[in-house]
This record gives sequence, structure tokens and C-alpha cells, in this order.
Amino acid sequence: MRVGYVFSELGQGLRRNVSMHIAVVLTLFVSLTLLGLGVLIKQQSDIAVRYLGDQLQVTVYLCRDGDSNPACTSAVTDEQRQRVEQTISQNPEVSSVRYESQEEAFAKVKELYGADQFDGPNPPMTATDMPQSYWITLKDPQQFEGVTSAVVGLDGVSQVRDLRDTLAPLYGWLDALKYGAWGVALFLVIAALLLVANTIRLAAFARRKEIAIMRLVGASTLYIALPFLLESLVTAVVGVALAGGTLGAFMWFGVHERIASSVSFMPWIGVSDYTTSLLVIGVLGPVLTLLPTLLLTRKYLKV
Amino acid sequence: MRVLSIDVIRFEKVSKTYPGTGKPALDQVSIDIEKGEFVFLVGQSGSGKSTALRLVLRETRSTGGRVHVAGKDLNRLAGWKVPRLRRQIGTVFQDFRLLPNKTVSENVAFALQVIGRPRSEVKKVVPQTLELVGLDGKGERMPDELSGGEQQRVAIARAFVNRPMILIADEPTGNLDPTTSVGIMKLLERINRTGTTVLMATHDSGVVDQMRKRVVELDHGRVVRDESQGVYDGISG
Repeated sequence: MRVGYVFSELGQGLRRNVSMHIAVVLTLFVSLTLLGLGVLIKQQSDIAVRYLGDQLQVTVYLCRDGDSNPACTSAVTDEQRQRVEQTISQNPEVSSVRYESQEEAFAKVKELYGADQFDGPNPPMTATDMPQSYWITLKDPQQFEGVTSAVVGLDGVSQVRDLRDTLAPLYGWLDALKYGAWGVALFLVIAALLLVANTIRLAAFARRKEIAIMRLVGASTLYIALPFLLESLVTAVVGVALAGGTLGAFMWFGVHERIASSVSFMPWIGVSDYTTSLLVIGVLGPVLTLLPTLLLTRKYLKV
Repeated sequence: MRVLSIDVIRFEKVSKTYPGTGKPALDQVSIDIEKGEFVFLVGQSGSGKSTALRLVLRETRSTGGRVHVAGKDLNRLAGWKVPRLRRQIGTVFQDFRLLPNKTVSENVAFALQVIGRPRSEVKKVVPQTLELVGLDGKGERMPDELSGGEQQRVAIARAFVNRPMILIADEPTGNLDPTTSVGIMKLLERINRTGTTVLMATHDSGVVDQMRKRVVELDHGRVVRDESQGVYDGISG
């Protein structure tokens, strides 16, 4: 096989059909970027479920002075508190329970917002503004209704909160983003397939004389199809590289430099997840261009 | 002699019916062509000449009978072996079929390049072949700078550059004036003398009468005449 010849044909083919190749590259670029983005979002939502799922706790806030809940007539009494604690610890679904005092809750708030905010003679809030609470870890995080309903009506209970309620919208958004990205990508993938098919059709037509002679003098099918396959591979590689670069930029400037550094309470996608998305688009890109090329070269270039 | 020699092309009761047509293009055709023979295939348009040539090239398969070319049963030849078969057959057409964007040399070299021949061989063989066909010194010309006869010589050079066992010519003089045709026929005869079997389909009574070679006449897909040292005129009789 004459390598030089194949590459000169490849160069000619790319130049002859440059506008079509650019169209293919751009379509591939955008569709693969969206696909990769979908993969990253999926990875992120998996991470979130894994991380937050472990920590899914039911929190029972007790009444405090000036509680916004009208059921709380005054701050919780010791007797009421013991009653609540007893109810929780006797519940068979509870794995463990931890009491958090007003001081501990206040310490958490200070840690979150910075202790210096609460210094001085007239601080925005003090420990007495914080509710006492029970933090319940469940044996099965899915089974929280039993505990919630057992505690919710008791005297001295201001509020029962399940983290799931807080996170549900977040998961919803992640899912919507993921499926949105994949949905748009799917349309673009179809467009890319058709573009590749058209490109091959045009290229085969432009080279029909050469191809007819190649067949006649006994060039093998592979030899005839090789420039087409290489053209497709080149567009795929360029498309994958552009998409990979864009995803890399998103990972670095979007995730690493922004979100991950400002929202540090949960883990974020990292290099290994980026590699996964690269792998997906790295396989899909060439498949998307080579598949129609193989099918069409079989059709147009059959010896 | 005839028993010992090998048939390069052999049709055994070959029939070919194209899909969607009731009448066969070839009907029980039997022809044996030995190595080194020069055979004219004559007959009116639609008599089955082109179909016979296409069968030899395995561009199509027969629907009945057997086609043997270069010792191979073409109906049983696997698709991937077809290129190898075609490397043993050179083909020349009425319309030359040169690549207009390549020089004469490049056109001839193309036939070797695409079957993966090494550069050194191409460099050596192409000028030799151009000289053989009488085009030495014109290798750098473009096809459209040449006369019709010269273009056909380029096509013959391309068909012969790989030293094929068989040369198939489909109306090679169809676009040429009688004087030029004589030159082309002399060239084909010279190629024939190197041992290459030549099978030429033609309407050109002049060249057939002048050459006095074997003539196989087809009419409505049947062989109606097969004579050595024949003439074209047999057609009407």
C-alpha cells in the first residue's frame, strides 16, 4: 500500500470538500460537547446522590422563644423535650439520634458566616435565637415518613425537616439539564450523520472518474474507500478535539475555579469524570462519522 | 495443439438475463479463447457484445452457464478476489476515460499506484510503456493537449502497463478516423504479439477486414459465426 498516495488523496479530498467538512466538524463539535456535558451532569448528580444520600437525616427543631410556628406557645420545656427524645429513640426506624443544643447550633452558624459577624455589643443574633434540635439518622434513608409522623404533632416540636425536600429540586434540575443536553445532542447527532452521508455522496461523485478507473485496474475496495474513511476520521478527530477542549475549559473555569471553590459543602466532578466524558465522545465521534462512511462506501464504491 | 493450450477466456453455454427484461442479453453462448489469440467480437448494437465484456471483467455475473477467465470460475469467485482478477485484465474504451487533471505519465502511473506497486517499479515501467505505445517524450503533457489517437494510446498504455494476461478493447477505434485507427490497431497487434490475449468488440468493418483475425459474431445474444481469419461482412450473410 502506497502511504504517500493515500495521504495526498486525503489532502485533496479535505480541500475539495472543505465547506462540507467544516459543517460536519461544527455539528460534531456542538453535539459532542452537549453529549459530554450530559455525561458530566450525570456524574455530578451521581456524586450528589451518593454524598448527600449518606447524610440524609431528619431534623426535628424544637420550639424556642418567639418561634414563628403558632403551635409553639413558649420555648420547649424539659418535660416536652424528654417526651420527644423518648419517642424518637423508641422508633424502630431510627438508627441513631443526636441532640444539638442552642450553643452548638449557634457555633455552626458562626462557622458558616464568620465569627466576627457576631462580635460586638449588638450582634444580629445570639444563641437564644437558635432552636434546639434532634438530628436523626435513619436505618433506611427512604423510610422517613414513620419518624416524621410520630414526632410532628408532639408538643414543643416546631418543625420537622427532611433534607430530601431541600434536595429534590436540585436533583430535578440536574436531571432536566442532563436530558435536555442529551435531547439536543440527539438531534445534532442525526444532523451530523446526514451531513457525513452527504459529504461522502459529494466526494464519491467528485471522484467518480478516478473510482471507475481504480475498479477497472483492480484496486481493492479498501484502497478505494480508504481516503473516504480517513477524511471521516480526520473530521471526527477535529470535532472530538474541539468538544474535548470546550468540556475541559468548562471543567476548569466553570467547575474547578468557580463552583467547586465557592460551594465546598459537597464534592464536585473532577479529572476522572472529565476523562469519562472524553472517553464517551472519543468513541462516539469516530463512530458517528465512520459508520455512515462505511455504509455509503459499500454502496457507492463496491468493486 | 488445441488440447494442450489453456483457454484464457471460456464461455460455457453462458446466458445473461438482466432483471426486469424478458429477453436474455446472452443466450447459451459458448466461446473458447486461447492464450495469445486476437479475437474480434462483432455484432449490432444490443447483440450482447458489451454484456460479454462485462462478464469477463466480472462487472456482472451470468445467470446461466459458466464463465472462466484466467483459470477462475467467475460465478464462484468471491467478491474480494475480483480486484485480483482485474489486475490480469487491461481495458480500453471508446471514450479513452483518462483523468483530465493528471498528466499522461500520471494517468499511466495511476493504474500501478492504486494496486500498490512500489514507486521504483512505477518509475521504471511507465516510461517503457509510453515508449512502447509511441508516446515517448509526451509524458508531461495533459490529456487535452493530445489528439484523439494519442489519447487512446495513453489509455492503451494504462491498460497494458501492468502487463495483463488479457486486453479487452470496447470499440477502441469508435472515436477515431480511419488513418488513426490503423495506428491503434497496429499497436494492439504489437501488444498481442507479446503474448497478451486481445478481445476487441467493434463495429469498425475496416479494421476487422484488414486484420484478418478470428471473428466471433453475436446476434440477439447468440453466437452466429466464429471463424478464424474472418471478415466483418459475414454479418449480413
